[in-house]
Amino acid sequence: MASAGIEKVRDWILGRHPERTELAEDVRLLDSRLVDSLSFVELVYVIEDASGAEIDFDSIDLEDFQTVAAIERAFFARGES
Amino acid sequence: MVSDLIDQDDRFRGILDRLTSKSIDDYYNPYRLFEWPASLPDDMWWMSPELTTTHGSEAAATLSQEQLFALSRYESINFYSLNVHGIRELLIEVVRRIHTTGFETPSEFFHHFIGEENEHMWFFAEFCLRYAGRIYRQPGGGVAIPSAPSPRVESLLVFARILIFEELVDHYNSRMALDEQLHETIRAINRIHHQDESRHIAFGRELVEHIFDDVRRTATDQELLDISSYLRRYMAYSFESLFNPQAYRDAGIDRPLELRRALLDAPTRAEAERRVFRKTLKYLEKTGIVR
Repeated sequence: MASAGIEKVRDWILGRHPERTELAEDVRLLDSRLVDSLSFVELVYVIEDASGAEIDFDSIDLEDFQTVAAIERAFFARGES
Repeated sequence: MVSDLIDQDDRFRGILDRLTSKSIDDYYNPYRLFEWPASLPDDMWWMSPELTTTHGSEAAATLSQEQLFALSRYESINFYSLNVHGIRELLIEVVRRIHTTGFETPSEFFHHFIGEENEHMWFFAEFCLRYAGRIYRQPGGGVAIPSAPSPRVESLLVFARILIFEELVDHYNSRMALDEQLHETIRAINRIHHQDESRHIAFGRELVEHIFDDVRRTATDQELLDISSYLRRYMAYSFESLFNPQAYRDAGIDRPLELRRALLDAPTRAEAERRVFRKTLKYLEKTGIVR
């Protein structure tokens, strides 16, 4: 069951692409340019807002942002392992 | 090629010669020019209040004078940090092109441009490190140039982005240089930057127009539309980068991300963005680069 937080992130991405109605968790967001370099910072802020985590820009690993599943694993799954 | 177009244009060649001479005549040693007091007072504006992101907002009305001063302090550190990152990105692109095919004619001025930008990056970084102990970060160090259908289009995006960034910054520099509420050290770095950037902006406007003329001869209508929409998005992105939640957090704001969202959605944002890019947008629309 997806958390409310990751749904906020998914909704934000879908909101930027009105031509899409759904977004599978394994779609490559950066490679497909659903999130491009101009919207990446905003994605980081949306994840911070939805997860309550502060993301250190210096230690960002782009793989953590490649798919909805990767974002959920990196920022919304703490304490559940 | 860009150089061929410049070589055929006596006016642009004349401008390049004048700007190069002016760079030589105005040359200064930035490492000796500024006075760097050990600290700057907390109880004063570090950025002109009307240039801060909260100016005129509902949020600003709820903050004390002390909080507004602190906000202006961290927003100024964000502004100079953006300069550091923006300059690094533009230096990489100009260094990549100097003395390469197509850029033979502007290369002489590129030497002055690169030298001056390096010095600007130094005094902005110095300010941040001395008075805040840090430079605010950007993810991945900066924003990549999107993949372009040809090297000409890529160069157009590169130099149009440089111009947009310089004009945005200059809007702030030219005002803060004259603002008597600000400390003399703050006014001085803004004044010197404004002085040098006037030359860079004059050069950038000519260069971008020439590259666009070159691109327009062979580009499809869709490619021209894509350039226009990308540059519009780049302007919005650049403006939004002034609203940094980390600066709000450092100034003691409780919910920095909420404040950023509220300010970006407020009517004051559209007005401020229009003011900042009034001249830039007029130029980009007049040349047909942005539709």
